[in-house]
Amino acid sequence: MVNKTRLYWTLQIGGWGVYAAIQILTMLLASGSEIRIQRLFFFVFEAMLCLIVTHSYRNYINKRKWLSMGLARLIPNILASSILMGILIYFLRIPFSMILGTFVPSNAFDPEKMVTGILYYTFFVFLWSVLHFMYNYFERYNKSLQLEASVKEIELSNLKSQLNPHFIFNALNSIRALVDENPAKAKQAINQLSSILRNSLVTEKRGLTSFDEELKLVRDYLGLESIRFEERLKTEFDLDPESKDFMVPPLMIQTLVENGIKHGISKLTEGGVVQIKTKVDGDHLKIHIRNSGKFVVNGHKKDTGGGLGLENTKQRLKLIYGDEASFRILTEKDNFVLTEIIIPHLY
Amino acid sequence: MKALIVDDERLARKELIKLLEEHPSIEVAGEAMNADEAEKMIEELNPDLLFLDIQMPGRTGFQLLESLDSAPLVVFTTAYDEFALKAFEVNALDYLLKPITAERLSEAVHKIQDKEKTKSGRPRDKKLDLEDQVFVKDGERCWFVSLANIRLFESDGNYIKVYFDTNRPMIHKSLNALDEKLDERAFFRASRKHIINLSWVEGIEPWFNGGLMVKLRGGDKVEVSRRQAAKFKDMMSL
Repeated sequence: MVNKTRLYWTLQIGGWGVYAAIQILTMLLASGSEIRIQRLFFFVFEAMLCLIVTHSYRNYINKRKWLSMGLARLIPNILASSILMGILIYFLRIPFSMILGTFVPSNAFDPEKMVTGILYYTFFVFLWSVLHFMYNYFERYNKSLQLEASVKEIELSNLKSQLNPHFIFNALNSIRALVDENPAKAKQAINQLSSILRNSLVTEKRGLTSFDEELKLVRDYLGLESIRFEERLKTEFDLDPESKDFMVPPLMIQTLVENGIKHGISKLTEGGVVQIKTKVDGDHLKIHIRNSGKFVVNGHKKDTGGGLGLENTKQRLKLIYGDEASFRILTEKDNFVLTEIIIPHLY
Repeated sequence: MKALIVDDERLARKELIKLLEEHPSIEVAGEAMNADEAEKMIEELNPDLLFLDIQMPGRTGFQLLESLDSAPLVVFTTAYDEFALKAFEVNALDYLLKPITAERLSEAVHKIQDKEKTKSGRPRDKKLDLEDQVFVKDGERCWFVSLANIRLFESDGNYIKVYFDTNRPMIHKSLNALDEKLDERAFFRASRKHIINLSWVEGIEPWFNGGLMVKLRGGDKVEVSRRQAAKFKDMMSL
């Protein structure tokens, strides 16, 4: 608010100052050596007068909330008030001319000169109005853009994947048992879990993460799940080396892999396979996550929350990439569920 | 007490067995990896107590309980399913959150022992009597109901409506199958549609066609068919 007031006065004084300076300069160039001090004072006074009048005009505009007025009403209002201000300025400068001794009544009240003079001031007040309203409209638009951006950011952070507490506690439980059975493996598992936890805390603050970092997280995650599921979980990776150049939304691949385990592998008595495959095609990265199981579209089991997770992923991709990214999930033959994400390269 | 551990994760079972070593009163009679295995082992071992995981491949822990005629004492073991356990209206159960702590397990074991003491020590036959409990699930809500509290079973298509307190959840069973399981000293097949708990009978009136109308505590009225009326009179006059 302070900045805005300062900006207003800078523009107001600067603007009318420039107006006065141009008038004086024109006079100097036109009249050569014949400098009349009265004229000089007059121009300074005229600029000050315009400043005071437009400033009062601004107060009036703010008081009557013209900024929220529709254009159809606003334009006639501006035109009328510009003429009114023009008349006002024209007559208010007369007393000063009188003081300076440059007042010539026949000149000032000559109808033709009066109209030209009033129109002259009207033009400047009108110009002032246009600038004033343009500035305010632009600022308001800017603000709404900012608001939109912050709304988007909030939405995005709500959609961000979070680590599933079920996973954390199951992992801790497995690690507890591993401490006796295989201390070395238990230590490794603690490292994997802490790396995942750290990552999920850090990524809260980041919009995107590198593919390699996300992959490391996914590998840690699968490492921990392998402890839990033992021979029931098999993992396969088939990665395009160029994938590392891409940025991905943090925890997105992890969430989808977790979905695959939660709704696929963990439901199968015999267990199954999770396969992660990437392919770079031009400036798009295609990520395929396959898992054993069947994809049930909005099955009667609402409690699994799978639908919501997928909807979140979809919305998240849309917010980040617009229509550039795509996401789909489908059941393939041989009881495999394929989750496919295609994301563009962001430069 | 004989206990059966049901969990799909080998390490989780191992950890629980290790923790239970501190409690000699609980004898781990077996381990099951899933509901199907558990169902067989319950049939064979007839355990007094189940340590039961909820999320398992195949059927869930709840589905396993629903398929049992009578539910043994159950302690749920779960990593983060409190929401599922909140489904229980009557707090007739205990649950352990993984990783399980030794203190929390001791508490649970004490509770189980207290509960076990209230049971009469008489040998169990296969019939379900008033001391047995059944597991009932209706949508999101679950109950362990003692048969003593169930006043009426009513057949409704392929389901049986179970009347207790103010609840009437449905179980997927046939009334005939249930009738065979129930102890005939405690429950009576009043008609094609109804089985009543004899300890809830409050009054009997003669009814049309030589039948009877039985009034149960709580206000429910059940008609006894003519065919069953004579048998009923015999039983009640004992």
